Amino acid sequence: MSATENAKAVLRRLTAASATERILISFAALVLAVLVGAVIILVSGRITTCQTAATTLFGTGFCYDPVEVYLVLFNGALGEPFLLNDPALFNPGWNPLNFGLALTLKETTLLIFTGLSVAVSFRAGLFNIGTQGQLVLGGLATALFSFFVAPALPSGLVGGLVLIPLAVIVGALVGGLYGAIPGALKAYADANEVITTIMLNFIAAQIAFVLVSEFFSNPDSQVVETTPLPGWATLLPVAFPQGGDFSILALAFGLALVVGVWFLLEQTSFGYDLRTSGEQPEAAEYGGVDAKRTTVTSMFLSGALGGMGGAIWVLMVMGKWQAGVPALGFDGITVSILAGNNPFGVVPAALLFGTLKSGSLAVQFGTGVPKQLVGVLRGLIILFVAMPEFFRMLGSAIDLEPDRETVATDGGALGGDDE
Amino acid sequence: MSTAVHLDEITKRFPGVVANDDVDLTVERGTVHALLGENGAGKTTLMNILYGLYEPTEGTVHVDGRARDFDSPADAIDAGIGMIHQHFMLVDPMTVAENIVLGNEPRKWFGTTVDRERARQEVIDLSNRYGFDVDPDDAIEDVSVGVQQRVEILKALYRGADILILDEPTAVLTPQEVEELFRVFEELTAQGKTIIFISHKLGEAMHAADDITVLRNGKNVGTVKADETSNEELAELMVGREVLLEPKAEPQEPGDEVLAVRNLSAEDNRGIPAVSDVSFDIREGEVFGVAGVDGNGQSQLVEAITGLRTPTEGSISYKGRDVTDASRRSRIDDGMAYIPEDRHERGLVMDFDLVQNGILGSQHSPTFAADGRIHWSDARDHAERIIDEYDVRPPHADADAESFSGGNQQKFIVGREFEREPDLVVATHPTRGVDIGAMEFIHERLLDLRAEGKAVLLVSSKLDEVQGLSDRLGVMHDGELMDIVDPRNTTEEEIGLLMAGERPDADATDAEPPVGDAK
Amino acid sequence: MSTTTIDRLRDTELSYRATLAGGALSVFLLIALLGLAFPSSIWGNLLAILTSRSTLSSALRLSVPITFAALGGIFSEKAGVVNIGLEGLLIISAFTAVITTAVVGPEMTVVGLPAIWIGFFAGVLSSVLFSALFAVVCIRFKADQIIAGLAVWLIALGLAPFAATVYYGGVNTDNLGTTLGTWTVPVLSDIPFFGALFDADPAVYMMLVAVPASWYVLNRTAFGRHVRASGENPKALDTVGVDVSRVRYAGVLLSGFLAGIGGSALSLGLGQFVGNNQTMVNGKGFIAIVAFLFGNYNPVGAFGASFLFAGLEAAQIRLQQVPGYGVPDSLIQTIPYVTVLVVLALVGRTRIPAASGEHYDTGDDNR
Repeated sequence: MSATENAKAVLRRLTAASATERILISFAALVLAVLVGAVIILVSGRITTCQTAATTLFGTGFCYDPVEVYLVLFNGALGEPFLLNDPALFNPGWNPLNFGLALTLKETTLLIFTGLSVAVSFRAGLFNIGTQGQLVLGGLATALFSFFVAPALPSGLVGGLVLIPLAVIVGALVGGLYGAIPGALKAYADANEVITTIMLNFIAAQIAFVLVSEFFSNPDSQVVETTPLPGWATLLPVAFPQGGDFSILALAFGLALVVGVWFLLEQTSFGYDLRTSGEQPEAAEYGGVDAKRTTVTSMFLSGALGGMGGAIWVLMVMGKWQAGVPALGFDGITVSILAGNNPFGVVPAALLFGTLKSGSLAVQFGTGVPKQLVGVLRGLIILFVAMPEFFRMLGSAIDLEPDRETVATDGGALGGDDE
Repeated sequence: MSTAVHLDEITKRFPGVVANDDVDLTVERGTVHALLGENGAGKTTLMNILYGLYEPTEGTVHVDGRARDFDSPADAIDAGIGMIHQHFMLVDPMTVAENIVLGNEPRKWFGTTVDRERARQEVIDLSNRYGFDVDPDDAIEDVSVGVQQRVEILKALYRGADILILDEPTAVLTPQEVEELFRVFEELTAQGKTIIFISHKLGEAMHAADDITVLRNGKNVGTVKADETSNEELAELMVGREVLLEPKAEPQEPGDEVLAVRNLSAEDNRGIPAVSDVSFDIREGEVFGVAGVDGNGQSQLVEAITGLRTPTEGSISYKGRDVTDASRRSRIDDGMAYIPEDRHERGLVMDFDLVQNGILGSQHSPTFAADGRIHWSDARDHAERIIDEYDVRPPHADADAESFSGGNQQKFIVGREFEREPDLVVATHPTRGVDIGAMEFIHERLLDLRAEGKAVLLVSSKLDEVQGLSDRLGVMHDGELMDIVDPRNTTEEEIGLLMAGERPDADATDAEPPVGDAK
Repeated sequence: MSTTTIDRLRDTELSYRATLAGGALSVFLLIALLGLAFPSSIWGNLLAILTSRSTLSSALRLSVPITFAALGGIFSEKAGVVNIGLEGLLIISAFTAVITTAVVGPEMTVVGLPAIWIGFFAGVLSSVLFSALFAVVCIRFKADQIIAGLAVWLIALGLAPFAATVYYGGVNTDNLGTTLGTWTVPVLSDIPFFGALFDADPAVYMMLVAVPASWYVLNRTAFGRHVRASGENPKALDTVGVDVSRVRYAGVLLSGFLAGIGGSALSLGLGQFVGNNQTMVNGKGFIAIVAFLFGNYNPVGAFGASFLFAGLEAAQIRLQQVPGYGVPDSLIQTIPYVTVLVVLALVGRTRIPAASGEHYDTGDDNR
């Protein structure tokens, strides 16, 4: 075997992890990230100053107690069903339709869109880091479209039923077209999509900023933002409290998209083309897949999902577009990688990451640990999921998984030694 | 004569495979020793153990009478062993001299800097001593394969190797370059070096070696002296039974033209001309063979025909339609089957199961998909049918392609392509890596297709295969179609000369009579 | 294959790059021409900006982080490890340099070393440690290099603002009130325009040394050859007894070292770490990747490309100060990114090291 073939074989082995193994690895990566996060919390507890130590280990006082931080995090994300430091344990006043849970589900909903966006491109073998930019511009398109079309429609439920779907489609289109740019650059100019999408993120943020601040700014506001949309043109919360900015309709739409993306990938000819391109471009070409077209289409699709994420962010959370869009696109990378780029995996991964994000607010409020902690955990999770070999070594060290027997019936070496 | 290498009861196991089973091997100093066997017999594994790339599961390695335990090639190099791998271990953009001294660079200025002048001089001295013709300043990517091989040998000699291992050294050479290599062997042994070379061609072993050891299924089945054995004995040792007759295609009257290639030129991935001005056609019920040493433009020719490469010049017409610029998919849809040369890269998606691989190329065809939706139950039936009819083992449609052995992967690809009901089958190295039983089966199926009136383009580096199966045989050298011959009335030697780029008495037979000289 | 065709191919690739460089030059000449013809137009202003000593000075300063990161990227990628985490290395070293200086006390001196230099070295050290983590993950644990590189970036992007918030209560650090300052060479610094080369940030001098030094190491030392072989054909290196992993570790650690200098110089040149949004590094690590691709993995070429991008940035900053054109700042700020995009689209087909991005193991018991 040549070095290249050898390396490819290794790569194949890494990606050939079975579904169970993938779940195990994601889970282990998560645990490890949480543990490393705990160490970081402890260390930063030495850096900062406080009146009384939150915890004491080996005779040294620390300002933050990692266990407490994580407990507060999960409790906060669920809307405090538990009374920490109280023998009663359960909070009798807990209502499932609470503010904390609404925050968690809000984040989850948004992450489903960005996670799906990243998953589609990764499955096509394209490292689309540009979901963020696609989301920024898609969201802006939605906000502007709604703002200009709303006056022409009857206000109220009927107007909303017409306007909201159209606005989402506009967001998807703009996000998709912006995603198609790096796709086309990749297909026709061989430009590495990792770099182009990152550059396009910077460009999208600047363009959106200029457009809003120069042409579409809200005259009544000091911040760079568009004029808020009327309530009927946005996704209003149902059942959950107002301030949580969570609409169960958006979540339902996201879940429907999960099924849709799964169907597209697994059940259609186009999905077959896309997955084949991602797994083995040479084989795809051999199988009659138009590589360039598939690249552009996949990136359009990925961008459209990101753009829809932006639309939902505008319609459900903000009711307008505002500069300083949260890094939902980057979180989408974590969600997708955690989900093994599987659409169904995106749901639990988004829920988990949504919990982290919403809980981090409770953490900042309750323990003083900055909410940026989630940003650190995001990176750590990606890092650990990227090294399945580590967990395999760990696994075989404690003999968790017996060696997988390879199938070879004609006595030759695996894969056949060519002459 | 003393013993240079002695391998004592070597066993090497990989997960699920025993590559070497209790192998003994003794090589005398100053001799050429051939290690003969079929693909997958364990020859390369054994030599990798001697070179310290693998550690034996059991057994010991003795060099110069001392037991050795090599942890890495560095240890083997220290013991005076050099290995020339089948795929050259050279750094393409670096020069010949840079490659030869890599890892042992002469230094100057307190060891901070490579002494390039001294490196050059040492390379020149070394190649003069063994009569090699290499320019130390050429970049590896600019020199021929034969020269690259000599650089590999010099690299080993530069490191003080007394024992040289060559893995399939002739696979990439023209017959003339092979002769040159064997002369180098003589020069080296005359100066006291020991040579072990791996081969699966018994003629070569008989020709160049003093001693021959035959491996079969990882076992040593016999060591013989070259001048005390016969081709028949070696062949029987290699395959373990009487060698089968070469397939012979009965003459048959061909029908209408299916494929016509006219003045076709194409470039390789680096933009270097690889095919120049090739013309031929194939008719119904005809096998057109293409012979040639690997890397003489066959791959690019086939890719142009199958729609994976855009030709720079010329035209291709298929079933009377110009398809020069037609997409790959339109050719598949129009009944063109293609067994690609690289099954790991192209023929199969390694992480897909056989159900998914079974529809590769047909994912848009109405047989398996309607309204853009794939009928997976039909795809499963299809995969199971191929597995059954082409004896793919183990018969698991749900197993990923990469879990199958090379031979079974190949059988699955062949099955998939033959079952397409094609009008033209483009088969490149269709029997590479498969066992003899499967090889016979594939040959029979190819001849069946021919009998059914299909057109077949057969590309193979196995001369006996193309010669035995083809109705007409084109020989390629350096991108050109040297000649189209009748394989039944042409000797292997004549084809060999064409493969080497020599047109025998071209002036005498092919030249047009000068104008005005007619009566 | 014939030698002449390969030569032709090389020539076209070379002339292709030459065309790009020539294009940049002709744009400059066009601006010069228009500027001289219409001195009071925007072209006149542009010409004045491009030929001013302070633009050269700031272009040099701005090219420091990009150049160092690009040099680092060359070593890593030539050795066979794609390091997309350069951005993260810049962020972590920029932050560590400032916070270390702050903790030591900006006015303090330890064993004769001013605190700001202790901070500088601490920044470099943090980047080396981060790259060591990246190296272990990629080489020992065979992680996907792209994803691991993204992780390095995202960890740094999270960690620096997090730590800044822990220490300062906000994502930006306080201003140290001191910078690396400038080193001025007497007499030479009085030369018009080019005097900027002799009246500069210490990091600028380091850069001017590091570029030829990197070239020398890559092309004239045995280590450099092993690095190149490790990225082109690791098996060739392995079979002659050189440990590929060691060479790759060295390449990645060197990339951490070099990027660390760039990051420390970036923040200490300003005296502060800015941590909001994409932090003060703001894509310089990614621009560096394009710079060395554009420079065809040659340190000198990479410096040229970095200087071009930094020059655009410097001109852009100066252009913002010219009143009366009504072009929004944010739009002008996109110029370097758009240029990077265009350059990448044009030189997309760079010849990357053949085995770059692939894992290497000797294959024993591993099939």
